[in-house]
Amino acid sequence: MKGRLYLILIFLFLIIIVINIPIFAHKVNIFTYVEGNKVYTESYFNDGKKCVSSKMEVFDNQGNKWLEGLTDQEGNFSFEIPQEEGDLKIVLTASMGHRAECIIRADELRNTTGLVQENLKEPTSKESTESILVYKMGEENKVVSPEISSQNLKEVQLLIENILDEKLTPVMREIKKSQEDKISPTEIIGGIGYIFGIFGIIAYFLNRKK
Amino acid sequence: MHISEGILSAPVLVAGASLTATAVGYGLKKMAYKQMPKVAILSSVFFVASLIHVPIGPSSVHLILNGIIGLLLGWAAFPAILVALAFQAILFQFGGPTTLGVNTFTMAFPAIICFYLFNRGIKGKNNFFALTLAFICGFLSVLLSGIMVATALLFTGEQFMQVAKLILIAHLPVMILEGILTVFCVGFLRKVRPEILDLDA
Repeated sequence: MKGRLYLILIFLFLIIIVINIPIFAHKVNIFTYVEGNKVYTESYFNDGKKCVSSKMEVFDNQGNKWLEGLTDQEGNFSFEIPQEEGDLKIVLTASMGHRAECIIRADELRNTTGLVQENLKEPTSKESTESILVYKMGEENKVVSPEISSQNLKEVQLLIENILDEKLTPVMREIKKSQEDKISPTEIIGGIGYIFGIFGIIAYFLNRKK
Repeated sequence: MHISEGILSAPVLVAGASLTATAVGYGLKKMAYKQMPKVAILSSVFFVASLIHVPIGPSSVHLILNGIIGLLLGWAAFPAILVALAFQAILFQFGGPTTLGVNTFTMAFPAIICFYLFNRGIKGKNNFFALTLAFICGFLSVLLSGIMVATALLFTGEQFMQVAKLILIAHLPVMILEGILTVFCVGFLRKVRPEILDLDA
């Protein structure tokens, strides 16, 4: 009996150690974001180690491989968004049998690229000048010249993009952090409880047989 | 050393699952009723051990402890490791439901090998000899697991030697650490409760 008590004590000790150190699931994660006309990905093991020179593959929504590459020393990988519409699937194959995949929805890609590009392409078209003129008529005090369209619009857009990127960086970091699903003590203790329960059930059936 | 979902081909998965199923069946048959609490405790030890990362070396590695589990459980190591891995897959997404069979086999089979190799030796009279064997047991179990994982990945088209080298280098710290841990466990049990080591499979 004494020995068994010791075993249980060691076991409790192990649990306490585990609860007190930061724990990460042993798997790989991909974090992706779209910026301009490029998709950026960062890959890392859950304990924070980067996946260095791991294979990244990008598939379109028909499952055809669109491109393939290796992550760099920081675990980063980026590629330009393809012209075709549709979702993109990114698959990461890290060393020793680790794999993760993530899907970037088509509308996510379009929102950041499509709209911006369209605006940039036709700022001088009739529609945009007209709308500016209308605007001018509405508020007579404000001086808005029609020439604002082509040159300034581009600059304003760039400026907004830069500011947004700057402001969004911490938000992105926070999102990334929350995606690193740390394991909670609840899950650990719950899991141990389940295991005891399962063996309790096995013991019950073994006992009934005899 | 958990192999993720979607890497292995179907034949490897099926082979792993059927081997594991057979071994688990045999393990359950061999498992004495009195052994139950020990199996349950060691199963949860395995469950928790995978959460302890070893922050040395180039890759992300964790403790496995299959050597000591094999020594103390014999064939019951198979059901113990299967249950622990199943809960790791459900709760932490280590591995996954389809790779459960392969993962169980890669970790439990070395445990059985270690059991047959070292079970007699660690009960011997000579303390130093027994503890040396315990170290080798802890070391070897991880080494064998690494080789088995490399073998499983072999069929996915990766180069065996390359993968094996990578896994073994990454796990070298774990091997040494587990060797030491096994020495402590065996040394402790020899003193306090030697009959726990007495096990005929």
